[in-house]
Formats: sequence, C-alpha cells, structure tokens
Amino acid sequence: MKRTEFDIKISIEDVCRFLDIHKKSDSYEELLEELKEMLPMAYEKIEPMALLEFGSLDGYTVEEEGRPIKEALFGICTVGKRMAEWSTQLFAEGDYMRGMMADAIADNYLFQMDTAMEQTVIDMCRKQGKGIIRRIEAPQDIPMSIQKRAYDATGAEQEGIGIKPSFMYDPVKTVCQIYLLDDDTSRYHPEHDCSRCSNLTCRNRRIPSVQVKVRTGEEERRIRARKSESLLETFQKKDIFLTAVCAGRGTCGKCRVQFLEGATEPDEADRKVFTEKELEQGWRLACRAYPKQDCTVLLDNAETDFFVLADTKDGNERRISDGTSYGIAVDIGTTTIAMQLVDLSDGRTADVYTAINRQRAYGADVISRIEASNSGKKEELRSSIRQDLLKGIGKLTEDNRLKISKMVIGANTTMVHLLMGYSCETLGVYPFEPVNIDMIHIPYRELLEDERQDCPVTIYPGISTYVGGDIVSGLYTLEFAKREKPAVLIDLGTNGEMAVGCRDGILTASTAAGPAFEGGNITCGTGSIPGAICGAVYRNGKMETETINHAKPSGICGTGIIDVIYELKKAEIIDETGRMEEPYFKDGVLLSEEGNLRFYQKDVREIQLAKAAVRAGLETLAARYGISCEDVDRFYIAGGFGYKMNIHKAVDIGLLPAQCEGRTEAVGNSCLQGSVKYLLDPDAEKETEELRKMARELPLSNDKMFQELYMEYMYFE
Amino acid sequence: MDLIQEISEYLQKGRAKNVKQLVQQALDENMDPKAILNDGLLSGMMIIGAKFKNNEVFVPEVLVAARAMNVGLSVLEPKLIEVGNEPVGKAVIGTVQGDLHDIGKNLVVMMLKGAGFEIYDLGVDVETSVFIDKAEEVGADIICMSALLTTTMPKMQDCIDMLKERGLRDKYIVMIGGAPVNESFCEQIGADYYTPDAASCAEVAKKVVLEKKAAN
Ligand code: B12
Ligand code: FES
Repeated sequence: MKRTEFDIKISIEDVCRFLDIHKKSDSYEELLEELKEMLPMAYEKIEPMALLEFGSLDGYTVEEEGRPIKEALFGICTVGKRMAEWSTQLFAEGDYMRGMMADAIADNYLFQMDTAMEQTVIDMCRKQGKGIIRRIEAPQDIPMSIQKRAYDATGAEQEGIGIKPSFMYDPVKTVCQIYLLDDDTSRYHPEHDCSRCSNLTCRNRRIPSVQVKVRTGEEERRIRARKSESLLETFQKKDIFLTAVCAGRGTCGKCRVQFLEGATEPDEADRKVFTEKELEQGWRLACRAYPKQDCTVLLDNAETDFFVLADTKDGNERRISDGTSYGIAVDIGTTTIAMQLVDLSDGRTADVYTAINRQRAYGADVISRIEASNSGKKEELRSSIRQDLLKGIGKLTEDNRLKISKMVIGANTTMVHLLMGYSCETLGVYPFEPVNIDMIHIPYRELLEDERQDCPVTIYPGISTYVGGDIVSGLYTLEFAKREKPAVLIDLGTNGEMAVGCRDGILTASTAAGPAFEGGNITCGTGSIPGAICGAVYRNGKMETETINHAKPSGICGTGIIDVIYELKKAEIIDETGRMEEPYFKDGVLLSEEGNLRFYQKDVREIQLAKAAVRAGLETLAARYGISCEDVDRFYIAGGFGYKMNIHKAVDIGLLPAQCEGRTEAVGNSCLQGSVKYLLDPDAEKETEELRKMARELPLSNDKMFQELYMEYMYFE
Repeated sequence: MDLIQEISEYLQKGRAKNVKQLVQQALDENMDPKAILNDGLLSGMMIIGAKFKNNEVFVPEVLVAARAMNVGLSVLEPKLIEVGNEPVGKAVIGTVQGDLHDIGKNLVVMMLKGAGFEIYDLGVDVETSVFIDKAEEVGADIICMSALLTTTMPKMQDCIDMLKERGLRDKYIVMIGGAPVNESFCEQIGADYYTPDAASCAEVAKKVVLEKKAAN
C-alpha cells in the first residue's frame, strides 16, 4: 500500500517547543516570524509518502505475554528528498538556525503523518482479520536490521528510498514503523508508545496513554486511553456508548461521568453544567475530560441496552434451512442499525440483528455527521458503518458460512452518503444538494470491500437531502402510491420527516423538530433505555412515574415527556403559554427523588419548540397538499416511540391534531419493513421508482403558513 | 395610570390597537415624542425581553409585543424625525449564508429595535461580503450574525477574516449568536461578543456601542 495524499498542517507551536523557543524569550517574535516564512517553502518541498505491507518476524524474537509474535505490518514514512536536501543545504551554508528549523518542521510533519496513518493501518489489519498488539521501535525493541526487512517488504527501493549499511534510510527524514499483529481483532494499538521508548530526553516525549478503569454497576473494565483524546472519544473507540447529543462540544451535558480517582481539571463547560459540589464529587463531561493520569470512572448512563426495533412478527427463534436462498434487509438509522435475515422462498424472517450505529461517536444527529465528514473524517465514518454492517452480516450468516443472494438497504440521505463515501460538503448548507439520491445497485464486494459474500445490493432512493430512502421505504411498505384516500406518515425523530399522500401524489417535508422527543436538550432526558421514565401521572401534588423495565429511574424518554407535559397542563402547573407557576418555575417539578430528576421551565420551552415544529409542519403539509387533517384516512407513526405513545395525550398537548384520535397506527420500523418487502417483491424496483416520481418535497423554510402556524402551535391551546 | 406607562403595559400584552391609539393620544396631548419612545415603547419591549431571557414568556409573546411596538413606532416616527431623535446606533444583521433559519434572528432584530437601534436586516442566506458592504454603505456600528446550523457557523469566521483582509476589523463591533454558537466559538474566531439570547444581545450591543462612541 502506498499513500501520498496527506492533509497535514505543521504545528508552529510544536515546532517551537521542539526547538525550545519560548514565548518569554526575547527573540520569540523574530524566530516565530522566521518560522512562518519557512512554512510555505516547506510545504512546497515536502513530498510525503507512506508505504505499508505485511511481513513476517522470522528470525527475530518478539514476545507478548510469553507468546511469540510472528507477524507484523511494516510501515515506512518519509517527507521526501527535497526537504532533507534543503536542511542539508542550510547547514552547509552555515545557516544553522534555519537548518534546525527545517529539521524540526520535517520532524513535526513526520510525527503527524504517523498519526494520520493510524486509521489506514487499522483498516488494513481489519481487512486482514488481524489485531494490533502494539507498535515497536528499532533499536530499543528490536535490532536495527529489522529496518532492512521493512525496506524489502514495502518495496521502498522502487520508490527511490535508499538504505545504508547501518540500516538507516536515505533521505534522513524517513522512519520505520513495526506493528505487531495477532488474531485478536478486539484491539488495535497502532500508536507510538513513548512510555516504552528509551529516548528519555526526547523533546517530543509524551506518555500518550493512561489506564482508565471503567466501572458500570458491579463490572469493571480496564481500557487504555490516549491523552490526546477525550474520554468520550476513547469510550467510543472501545464501544462504550455515552449519549453525546452535541457531539462533544460541551453544551448538552449528556456525556456526564463520575471520576472516582484521578479526576481531570474541570474546564469552563464542566463549570456550567455541574455545581461546585458535583465537581467535587468528580462529575465531569466525558467530552471535555482528557485524563492525564490513571483513573477510575463510574458510568451509569452508558447505552448498553438501547432498544432497537427490528420488527419480528415470527418470534425470535433462528431458523435456517438448507437449499433455500436468503436475503438481508437493512435499516441504517442515525442512531441504530437493524437487520433481518429473510428466507426468500417463503418470506419468513429467519433471524434478526440490531446494534447501535457506532457513528454516534461523531454526534447524535445527521448534521454532526456531515460536519465530521467534512472535517476530514469521511473515511473513518465510512469504515465505521462498513464494520457495523459486516458485523451484523457475520452474525446473521454464521460468520459468512451462509451465503446470501440479495441485500436491500434503507437509510436517510446522509447515511447513504457516508456509506457510499460521497462528499457531504453540500448536505449541510442551503440549498442542501445531495450528491446522489437515485436508487443504487452495487456489488456487495464493492460496497463493503469484503470478499466473504458476493451478491447484488440495492440502496433505496431518496426524495431530497432531508427526506431520504428510509421514508421512501416506509411509504412503499405502507403502499402510499396505491391508496385511494390520503394517509400520513410521521417520523418523530430529530429531522421530523413526514409525508402525506395517496395515488394522486405524495408531498413530503422535514420539520427539524430537534432531539427533544429523544431526550436531547431536556435536562434529564434520555433515550429509550431501561430506567427511562416512560409514563407519569400527577396525583396528590406529586408526579408518580413508571420506568422502562421498572429499573431505577435514570432519566426521561419521549413518551414520558409527553405524559409529564400532559399532566402538568391538566394540573394547571403550566398555563397555555407554557409558563410554569411558582415555585416550579424556579425549582422545576420533581420527577424522581432518586437521582433528583426534575423537569424545568427550560425543558417545557424545548418541548414547545419541538412540538410546534411537528404540528405546524403537518398542518402546512396537509394544506399545501390541498386537504385538511380531517380528510386524512390514517396516520402512521414510525419508530419505536409510536408504540408506547399515548395518542390522546399527544393530541392534548398539541403535538398531533385531534383527528389523530382513533385513526393512528404505530408502524414500528417501517424502513426495515420496506427493505424486507423489497427483497420479496419482484416489482419492487418499478414500484419504488414510481412512488418516488410521484413524491415532491415541500420546502418549509420560506413558507409563510408554516411560520405563522409555528408560532400558533407553540402554545398549549 | 400615566399614559406612557399605559403604552408600555399594553405593549407588553401585545395589544397593537391600544398602543397605536394611546401613542396618537399622547402626541395629541403634546407629550415629548422621545419620552413616548423611550419610556413607553422601548421600555415595554425591554421588559418583555428581560422576561423572555428569564424564560417567563416565550417566542410568541415577544413577537406580538414587537408587532405592537412596530405599530406604535409607525405613528411616532414622523414626529421623531421632526425633533431629530438620534438612534443609539446602526446595526446590520442577518442569518449567514447557507442557513435559512430566521426566527431567532428576527427576535434579535426586535430587541435591537427595542433598544433604540436603527436596523438593516439583510434576511437569511446572506453572503459574507454583503454584511460588510452594507455596513460600509450605511455607516453601521455593529454587525450581527446568526447561525442555527453547525455547518454554517464557519461563515462567521469568514466574515471576520474578510473584515481583516479589508482592513475594517476594528471599525465594527461583531456580535454572533444562534443556538449552536457559544462563548468559546466566539473567542476562537475572534468575534467581539456572543450572547445566548436576544435580550442580552440588545443590552450588550447598546452598552458597547455607546462606550465606543464615548471613547471616540
Ligand atoms: C423552526 C426550525 C426550523 C424551521 C425554520 C423556520 C425559520 N424560518 O426559521 C424549518 C422547519 C424550515 C427548519 C428547517 C431545517 N432545519 Co431547523 N430547526 C427549527 C427548530 C425546531 C427551532 C429553531 C428556532 O427557531 N428556535 C427558536 C429561536 C428563538 O431560537 P434561536 O434561533 O436559537 O435564537 C435565540 C438565540 O440563539 C439568540 N440568537 C439568535 N441569533 C442571534 C444572533 C446574535 C448576533 C445574537 C447575539 C444572538 C442570537 O437569540 C434568539 C432568541 O433569544 C430547531 C430545533 C429546536 N427545537 O431548537 C431546528 C434545527 C435548528 N434545525 C436543524 C436542521 C438540521 C434543519 C435543516 C437543515 C434540516 C432538517 N429539516 O432537519 C432544515 C433546513 C434549514 C434551512 N432551510 O435553513 C437542526 C440543526 C442541527 C445542527 N446540529 O446544526 C435543529 C437543531 C433541529 C435538529 N434537526 O436537530 N428548521
Ligand atoms: S456535553 Fe459532552 S457530548 Fe454534549
């Protein structure tokens, strides 16, 4: 493997540190000036190249916990000849200062290349089914001659790199990496580990990792965390999921953890979220905590038991028979992934698989993913979803022993872009142009870069950037294109997509409700996890609550929020403008003594914004379609939320129109159902294409009616 | 109750008709137009703004109050021009390019008006150079930018950069806001002020513009 494209910014700060240039120094300004002048020249001269190849360690003794290690991945990174020549020339001219600067710049670049290669290294090993034990360095961990082995393995000679009898490379700014491999794919540690390095006086020496003991209930897990990464990032890499609504900007307060030992210094964001006392008790935002020493962290809000809808009607027993062919239907949600293994001969579900979409590491909503992709993490996001899919497919097919003959994927436009590796540059800003929302047919091996299956894959087409293939899939399964009377489909997720239609046409919109109904932006809000308050009744001046699985209350989820608002309104604790009466205005309403869970005025305001967006969107959509809600035959609520939501209460608080009562149906994961149906229906392609042609998107942004209704529905009539 | 007090109270309730009628009556009684403006209309708006900031009232209340203020202003304006009332300052405001959210920005517009600013509202999806060109054209004191999408926040940085390029950075006070914006982003891009809500935006804007004027 050879890589020559790097998007690296030389860090002046690090270069200064390396050269011992301090702010306090009298000549600081001048030296800085000089450095800045050199940078453009350096960029022009640097010709980065990285080579990677697998090889053997035969003839060397390398052990890990007494086990001999036989395989390695060899890497060679260089900044190229011209950079080396430049510094040599500067020294030759007697310009030692600039010579040293050029050297330091090259070192800094190399250092960063090293980090930039990590993901590539991991991806290569994943594909090969190898885990990375650690990285070693010559000569301290292994004789210098290993550099020759790496040289030969990577074919460096053909790339113009030389090697001296001392096994040093030429040009000088060329380094060798050796990653030790084995078959344990549960860990990847490609980072350079200064703590094992013998060069104690190296100015770049930083002990990059610390040990974090993560305690969840009775369990304790030990993980290594890099100092340069926030605890949130570390957790995500190790598949420990904390809610991170604001994607680590430190504003949502959802990623809270408690340090029992080795607490980090609280930063500004911590001080905003936590009281002095909580800070003392070790509460911190995981997204802001960069552990500098070994520590112990208590987690009670990790999403271990996230509830994912996979819609099995046939029970949970796995049934595989010989001689039939199978297909896999997939729903890639922003939060979760659901799959069904379908027996194509009789349409029965043979098995199901659900998981959390690990891209959540990059933020809860699509906008944060778009942003992450645009800031250089496109490949990481792609690899994340590929791995997630491969894992699910592996589970469903007994490690690919069962061969599938078809796969269909339904997903929103952003998820499709990330999976296909499209650029997301235009998704996040007006006019919100997608790269491609047509139906995609692609070979399995190309889509997932994996050879273990071989079949065609279809990806649902979308209607726009914010009304995607997941909605088309839902509309297809609910047969909107064939209906005589208009029906409505509503998804109460962050983007609040909705559609109204029948065989005469389909109109869709996205109302951007925000994450409030998923617990985001609500002080003690949470997803549908055990312990989430999912129901409430106000009796004798107290809120009596019920939680999912009757677990200890840990927060409140969407259905609970609707109940609480309904009860508060009924008890006249909030008036029609949404204002809470004293003393609740100041103190909030107590939901649970345990954990001191409260519902505050601010939370009511968030709900007002969200519910008004949904309702105003729906009314505007119906009106622009030329009907009123009275004419709607059926209302379908997609998502797990629909099953448990009390329609009467949702109507009462103004989230849904009165006509919903008696005409509403929870349809569960309609996207996954659509994917299953597509697998089985020979006319699926034709029908979905037709449906999509009938569908239009209503832009709400400059719709006067939406604006007016939005204000109107902010109130509780 | 004194007439001007009454104007303020009706304004807070969003009763446009009453406000209009009372402003007219006050003018007929030869009251000082500046007093009607400052102690009636603007003070009423500031009270609503403070309540909004405190979460006591919500967006719709501010909107109806602002409507009442505008109706009152339209009656008062000819007189104000006659007596030569100077605005506190001039503000150019808009939602940045790529973003069409304007509810928050509109609230800011109303509160700035309520604080006595002359407003040049550029609307939504405003190109970076347009903010600056408009500010140059009207001789603004302050440039306000709103962004509701994390993906459009970088446009605020662009504006600061462009101001620097054109050698105008110190000429204008730059304020930024919108739900995803925060203090540290403000510092990071080198804008002058961030506030989390419209009422504090108006307070801060008024304070700093007056200070800057006094210093010059
Ligand atoms: C209403 C709304 C819409 C309306 C917009 C109507 C309009 N004309 O503005 C519609 C439905 C059209 C819409 C569309 C979209 N939206 Co929208 N929308 C919302 C919603 C529900 C409320 C925003 C709002 O008006 N808040 C109320 C106002 C008063 O608050 P505010 O704007 O923050 O302003 C206050 C302060 O921030 C401050 N302030 C504001 N500006 C300034 C400026 C200065 C200088 C200062 C000092 C202060 C300041 O003062 C204001 C008052 O105190 C939010 C979700 C939510 N519940 O918050 C999503 C939300 C903002 N939208 C979002 C998105 C993604 C979109 C879309 C791009 C895609 C979609 N459909 O989901 C589209 C396309 C947008 C476009 N065309 O530009 C996301 C943004 C996510 C992110 N991480 O950036 C949100 C958070 C919802 C979500 N999906 O999570 N949206
Ligand atoms: S505060 Fe840490 S993810 Fe939001």
